[in-house]
Amino acid sequence: MRKALSLFLMAVLLIGVLGACGPKRDVQQPKGNDQKTAEQDKKPEKLVVWVNDDEKQKQALKDIFQKYTEKTGIKIEMVAVSMLDQTKKLALDGPAGKGPDVFYQPHDRIGDIVLQGLADPVDLGDAKGEYSPTAINAVTYDGKTYGVPMVVETYGVFYNKNLVPEAPKTMDDLMKIAKEKTNAAKDQYGFLMEATNFYFVYPFFAGYGGYVFKNENGKYDTSDIGLANDGAVKGAELVQSWFKNGYIPKEITGDIMNGLFTKGNVAVAITGPWNIASYKEALGDKLATAPLPVLDNGEHPKSFVGVKTWMLSAYSQNKEWAVDFMKFVTNEENSLHYYEVAGEMPANQKALTNEKITNDPLIAGFAEQIQYGEPMPNVPEMSQVWEPMGNALQFIAKGDNPKAVLGEAVKTIQDKIAASGAGK
Amino acid sequence: MPEANVRHRPAVAMALSLLFAGLGQLYNRRYVKGILFIIIEAAFLMTFYNFLNIGLWGLVTLGEIPMLDHSIFLLIQGLVSVIIIVFAAALHIANIIDARNDARRRQRGEPFPSLWESCRNAWDKGFPYIFVTPGLVMLLFIVVLPLLFMVSLAFTDYNLYHSPPRHLLNWVGFENFKNLVSIPIWKSTFFSVLAWTIVWTVVATTMQIALGLFLALLVNDPRIKFKRFIRTVLILPWAVPAFVTILVFAAMFNDKFGAINREVLSLFGVSVPWMTDPFWTKVALILIQTWLGFPFVFALFTGVLQSISRDWYEAADIDGATRWQKFRSITLPHVLYATAPLLIMQYAGNFNNFNIIYLFNDGGPAVRGQNAGGTDILISWVYDLTFTTNNYNMAAAISLIIGLIVSGFAIYQFRRTRSFKEEGNI
Repeated sequence: MRKALSLFLMAVLLIGVLGACGPKRDVQQPKGNDQKTAEQDKKPEKLVVWVNDDEKQKQALKDIFQKYTEKTGIKIEMVAVSMLDQTKKLALDGPAGKGPDVFYQPHDRIGDIVLQGLADPVDLGDAKGEYSPTAINAVTYDGKTYGVPMVVETYGVFYNKNLVPEAPKTMDDLMKIAKEKTNAAKDQYGFLMEATNFYFVYPFFAGYGGYVFKNENGKYDTSDIGLANDGAVKGAELVQSWFKNGYIPKEITGDIMNGLFTKGNVAVAITGPWNIASYKEALGDKLATAPLPVLDNGEHPKSFVGVKTWMLSAYSQNKEWAVDFMKFVTNEENSLHYYEVAGEMPANQKALTNEKITNDPLIAGFAEQIQYGEPMPNVPEMSQVWEPMGNALQFIAKGDNPKAVLGEAVKTIQDKIAASGAGK
Repeated sequence: MPEANVRHRPAVAMALSLLFAGLGQLYNRRYVKGILFIIIEAAFLMTFYNFLNIGLWGLVTLGEIPMLDHSIFLLIQGLVSVIIIVFAAALHIANIIDARNDARRRQRGEPFPSLWESCRNAWDKGFPYIFVTPGLVMLLFIVVLPLLFMVSLAFTDYNLYHSPPRHLLNWVGFENFKNLVSIPIWKSTFFSVLAWTIVWTVVATTMQIALGLFLALLVNDPRIKFKRFIRTVLILPWAVPAFVTILVFAAMFNDKFGAINREVLSLFGVSVPWMTDPFWTKVALILIQTWLGFPFVFALFTGVLQSISRDWYEAADIDGATRWQKFRSITLPHVLYATAPLLIMQYAGNFNNFNIIYLFNDGGPAVRGQNAGGTDILISWVYDLTFTTNNYNMAAAISLIIGLIVSGFAIYQFRRTRSFKEEGNI
């Protein structure tokens, strides 16, 4: 027994001694800055680019990448990694030297990505003016531009011309349609939306003055949450009235709404452009889109805008060429090509206002709504907001007092942010 | 033939072997063996020194320079190092014991077996162990290493704001566990979630076992015809992947649009708030889990029922036993004896049955003033807390607690079931 003990002590001692050793290395910064720029001006043989794993998008990008190779002689290695898995994979592959030069992310992940040190800021220079201002705001974090915006999306109004000849211009129009066309017993609805999903409900809060986090000069103040202020409460009361009047059933989900709309039972639905394909298949030319109707205070509802963006890996060895590549992919011509093949709205301002898009009756409504929208906050604290707000909307749908419910939700959000280790 | 040598000391041989493998053997004048051991130890040190050095350093410090050191990699390398060291230490101890044994022999003047003989001896005696070893090593890296990793994370501050490579992790001791019982947002909900988790586990599993047993007994009755067909039908729910079934049920149970309220219950003029009232959501979940779980239990019991000897029932018939007595004293003990370990696994599985809770209603409906949803069980609540807030350290800490609960329960039950006692001790 005593032998075993002394052996154990020996082992502990050994671990202690080795633990104190550690690797020998220079205390200097590993990369000298002057050297770096000199190296980077050299043209690399190839750039590795992670793209979203989607057939149409890959198809569109393949053509664009080909053109870049023709122009510069740099080969582009396209690796398909689902957008949602990219950051996890990059956190492991990057340090191991297997990561990409450029990857693709929705802008609301930027806060997380910067916190983990996975991306470097991009200097867009004069090119900054080429992108829609909303998109540039979306990719700005802590005053720096992270990434080059590629695609913008938001939601808007879809309407069925069989049931309503014209899109509702104001909230009153919409309520009138809801009142006339709704017959819940027969599954007929004048107006449907996922009104218990905070993503879709936010514009009605924001149009009256609600906000998620106070934004000043491109910086979010996460201690100032505006989701229980007077404006938010007013928006919540509006949403609650839809449930109270029986316009929207409180059991509504996206699947149910899509099913009813494609059956032709719904006059107006608020949802995003990702439904265009399936809606069009069902309704044909009877389908049209429009921006969200104006609120009774004259404001446009401020829908959440999402921006999919190319980002520069912090582990890239060819940063300047990677940025050059990103600018090339998002220029007007290539953005339009991407729109035609993949069907997504470009973040490039000239492309967004190009006739091809403004004349497309199914995209025009969303393209217009973009300018009234505001980017989803890109701070990491945003991830604490969705669930409490979703729950609050469920209580509101049930008929609970909006002011009390929103107050509780904001308290929960604050608790969650504190519990997540922020500020420690 | 060596002579007895009282001045030869085993303690010296052991001390020398402790210092460096093989030295003791040299002192014993077993030169070939000694040199072999020295070569092995030297090779080990040369190959692994750097790896172990960085590994142990990383395990202690978790890295010093952000962006250059990656705490997660260092942590894993450190754990691997510890495993390798444990192996090496075991071999080293074997070497010391060998030196002592040889020294004693020399002291007593006994002859030594030749190297070749002792090798053959070890092969003969240790044959099963030699073949088990590669599997054991695999197991160590596939099962034990991830577990150690998870346990280690519970004592770090790995969350969104401390994520490598930008930031390094730190050891925080028991702080995560302290936070769990002191921070209101976690503490307040913990007990209501735990209570429902236990109710859910016990009720849903017991119902699925009872239903499976009942159907197996019925179908096994000799008077039943078309047994094959009936069995096939009863196994069908098992054939569809559970997540598909759950999603279909979620649509069917929708309060307003689902088939259950619309087509079935409307016949009786009732409409039940399956998705919006916590009580009815719990009822729906238990019903679905019963439906999902009984085919397995049914198949299990059907198999076991075939193996009960007819003689026992005949003997019971002669003694004039009733149907219930036969069931109570022959069938039930036999069936439970054979299946107890699997049934316990069913309980443990439902305790952590994340799929159904998450897919059916995502732990909903929401309850005011409570962080978790009305039907969240521990594991789905942890999932929500961690993957919306990226608190990996807390996830590890709570998982550790869940793991302890489940394994404690399982060990206790296993030890009490007869299936795990030696045969003949029943």
